[in-house]
Amino acid sequence: MRGKLLAAFLAGLFSFCLASTPAAAQQPLIAADAWQAYKAKFLDPGGRIIDDANGNISHSEGQGYGLLLSVLAGNPADFELIWSFTRTELLLRSDGLAAWKWNPATKPHVTDINNATDGDILIAYALGLAGKQWNRPDYIKNGASIARAILDKTVIQISGRTLLLPAATGFSAKDRDDGPVINPSYWIFEAFPVLDQLAPSPAWEKLRTDGIAILGELRFGPKQLPTDWVSLTSPLAPATGFPAEFGYNALRIPLYLVRAGITDRDLLTRLMRGTFGANGEYATIDISSGLPKDNLSDPGYQIINHILACVVNKTAVPEDLKQFAPTRYYPSTLHLLGLSFIAAQQRECS
Amino acid sequence: MKSTFIALSAAIVAISVFGMNKPDYIKHAMRSLSLADAEEPVALSPRLVQQSDSGVIGVNAPVFREIKRSARPVLDTVVTAATAATVDESALRYFASRGDTARLQAEISRLKALYPDWVPPKDPLAVPQNEDKQLETMWDLYAQGRYAEVRKAIAERQIAEPAWKPPADLIDRLTVAEARTRLINASDLKQYDTVVRIGSETPSLLTCSEVDVLWRVAEAFFRTDKAQRATDAYSYILNNCQNAAERLATVQKAAAILPAKSVEDLLAKEKTAPDGTMEFDSIRDDLARRFVAEANADGKLVVPPQYLARVEHLAETGGLASDALLLGWYHLPRGDMEAAEKWFRKARDKEDTASASQGLALTLIDRNDQLAAEDTMYRWRDDSKDAKAVYLAATANLLALEPPVAISGEVLKRIAAEVIKSRDASTAQQFGWYARALNQPQTALQWFRTALGWKLDDEPSAYGLAVTYQQLDDLNGLSEIQRLWAGRSERIAKVGEVEKPEMANRQLPVANETVAVRRQPRTVVTSQDVEYDQQEQVAVTRPRRTVSADRGCKSTINPQTLAPEAALTRGWCLMERNRPMEAAAAFEVGMLGSSAKTREDAAYGQSLAYLRAGLSAKAAVSAIKAPQNRQRAFELQQAILADKAVAAFDAGRSREAILILDQLRQIGPERTDLLSLRGYAYLRLKRYADARRVFEALAAIGNRDGQRGLGILYQIFNDKD
Repeated sequence: MRGKLLAAFLAGLFSFCLASTPAAAQQPLIAADAWQAYKAKFLDPGGRIIDDANGNISHSEGQGYGLLLSVLAGNPADFELIWSFTRTELLLRSDGLAAWKWNPATKPHVTDINNATDGDILIAYALGLAGKQWNRPDYIKNGASIARAILDKTVIQISGRTLLLPAATGFSAKDRDDGPVINPSYWIFEAFPVLDQLAPSPAWEKLRTDGIAILGELRFGPKQLPTDWVSLTSPLAPATGFPAEFGYNALRIPLYLVRAGITDRDLLTRLMRGTFGANGEYATIDISSGLPKDNLSDPGYQIINHILACVVNKTAVPEDLKQFAPTRYYPSTLHLLGLSFIAAQQRECS
Repeated sequence: MKSTFIALSAAIVAISVFGMNKPDYIKHAMRSLSLADAEEPVALSPRLVQQSDSGVIGVNAPVFREIKRSARPVLDTVVTAATAATVDESALRYFASRGDTARLQAEISRLKALYPDWVPPKDPLAVPQNEDKQLETMWDLYAQGRYAEVRKAIAERQIAEPAWKPPADLIDRLTVAEARTRLINASDLKQYDTVVRIGSETPSLLTCSEVDVLWRVAEAFFRTDKAQRATDAYSYILNNCQNAAERLATVQKAAAILPAKSVEDLLAKEKTAPDGTMEFDSIRDDLARRFVAEANADGKLVVPPQYLARVEHLAETGGLASDALLLGWYHLPRGDMEAAEKWFRKARDKEDTASASQGLALTLIDRNDQLAAEDTMYRWRDDSKDAKAVYLAATANLLALEPPVAISGEVLKRIAAEVIKSRDASTAQQFGWYARALNQPQTALQWFRTALGWKLDDEPSAYGLAVTYQQLDDLNGLSEIQRLWAGRSERIAKVGEVEKPEMANRQLPVANETVAVRRQPRTVVTSQDVEYDQQEQVAVTRPRRTVSADRGCKSTINPQTLAPEAALTRGWCLMERNRPMEAAAAFEVGMLGSSAKTREDAAYGQSLAYLRAGLSAKAAVSAIKAPQNRQRAFELQQAILADKAVAAFDAGRSREAILILDQLRQIGPERTDLLSLRGYAYLRLKRYADARRVFEALAAIGNRDGQRGLGILYQIFNDKD
């Protein structure tokens, strides 16, 4: 058991990106100029990542991405900056999870004390990576405490399945008629082995295997795609009250899969084929019609599609997508995550 | 300022219980979590024992205590592992260079407390500036509260100069400042566990210079069910901190959440100024008012007598109606109606408000002065739902009074109007009984019908209809109401049964009077005899002050105005007209008669009157007011016992009913109706064999109850099979 988890950890962490060789440790997976351009646009001097498409608010997801990107860019000072803000402004909940939303225009800035589990996962994951990378026991300690809170408050067992609730409140069977409701894009598979190191539990490995199994079953509409929000009632169904679409949440799923080294060909092929919009661009998809809703021309979205093509068909990622220029917070974040994946592949997709 | 720190020592103790064979980072993590569990009992560790010796009471004991900053490091994170061997004056230099004398002084005090041997520079403003420009920038950012940026600057410099170590003082202050921000954020968001945790982890925040933090931690303790710790925190401030405004605010904040007893303990820490004024005097009045107000909402709360006395003094001298009101509402739920009435009256005298009137009305209702209660509440009846409820309660009680009181036409009219507006079935029903008592059965019918229309399941109103129909010999009306209530009300079904010939045979004919077992009137009075005022929508009494020449008893007069003999005659007349309560009052006057015969008759008559009104206890009292001849005494005893038996049965006390029936049997043969009562009582007690014996005997003489009883028994045993 231990050996298997360690292997998973190594697969997820060291062989993928960090510190597998001294050379890799010195070669950040995100280029300094790209990170510099990202920071200049989305990182407030006080340490918060600004979601410029959403009224310049910040959220735990953005802080988690910022921390992760700082690690991938090999920048401990920026990590320290973003972490200080995250800790003092969001990591306030009594249960040890982060409040999800921070609004510069309100006082208090936190307007909703509920958490967003993907934000918590990203923060704990980045803390685990940074703690190892830069030998910072305080990061490890904080990451472990968040990981334990994630297990306590958001990981549930239902009919043999281990699930991740999108937040500590509001999504369980008790909270909703169609509950539990999940968001498959909150399964950040690459984080689970690191979280298992921080807060050892068999639940992390189960989250991984059950998450993959659920993705295998999420085949809604003519394109056989998952929706952003899914009701775990039987049979699985798009959750009520949310648009039935493969939307801006779900479009991260393929990126998370390949980054975690999950190369289930059927699954990846289905996701790739289902999400082509006009001109072969990546697109959000209306589930019932199977038609594209938004054609996503931003390179940050486009790169996901091309990474899928690379993994499935060994097609090289086009050169223009390898250039990073910040656009909006969300696609630019995905862009850097995509680029760091390509860098870690060491030429396969280049 | 006294530079002391308070440590949440239990938190420190908890750390030592975790195993040592875990990787370091896990231990660190466990530590942060274990802080949250500081309340949990932990095994005694050497550390704890040591603390107990030094006066700390135990693991869960109050945790605020003063410690020397040097007793242990504030922080244990890696970044602060390097502790300064010499006194770090960089902050001092920074503040000096900025000319920030306030902070400079604070820093000097702080350093003096930390390093008792340290001698501050003679001219702090002359302290040379930090020559380290980068460090200067860090202090600059720190002074602006840009803590995350200080962190970043430190990290950047450490990358550029691996040998460089940040001053321990900067790290300490930064860590404390971040903790303060985080604690305040968590407190604003009501994340009280987080507040307590940060407070435990950052004892240097818990000082007099951070009173706001102390307040927040105290509140967080209270909100996480650690009221004693909250009290300890407030006590700490009052014991150690000197700022007058902050001390006053501390008591106010404590009083806002803590129980009166704890606040009292805190107030004991009050200081007297040289001029003799007490520092908390300005808030004592408000506190006293608050305690009494809280006790108004919770009748179990005990207000320390000195606060009650303070509010009483205020109410008596200050002239605020609200203070008297507070006292009224304090005494009311505690059952001290006399005091409550006194204060409500005082409040009302100062200012007639809905609340004062409502309170007063409740005390009046309690002492059965319903007329005054109605009058008090009338003006305020529409003020609130509660006010309306109190008003209607007063009206229902007023009309239900036994014996009925005289109510002016004006008052009756306004009550009626309000009852109709509010569709209040309860008072409408009482109007019915009131009209009956005043012998206005047609009016009674109207009210009972109205009440039933508003409250379909109002059995008493239906019963009122039934007995009134019977009184009016309206057999169609009676059978209709009996049909509607079949199976739902035994007493409605039984209305009229006393008429049955087989029952009448057994009844004792005395003075042309049958003893009514139930409250329902008998039917000897024919409908033609009944006088009622068709013009009246509501029953109205017409009080008369003079003795009427009228020899009958149609009108209502005060029997006190009659001679005993005349009152006796009037009593029997009223009995004939089925106005037993008025009759009882008339017989009362008759008992003042000079002849023994008059007194005996009056007592006998009153006893019968009360029996008819269903007041067997009063009947028993009347029966002994004058010696009765043997036959009457026997008859009354029988009637009273029979009434008691029925009442016991009706109240569900079947065993008691049978005991009384047994008593009755000893003084004479059992009446058929009482025999059937016995049968039903046995049935209820599941003494089926006894019940069967009784019902068979009844059935044998053709009694319907006997047949019904046997039918029930048959069903019971069939169901059992």
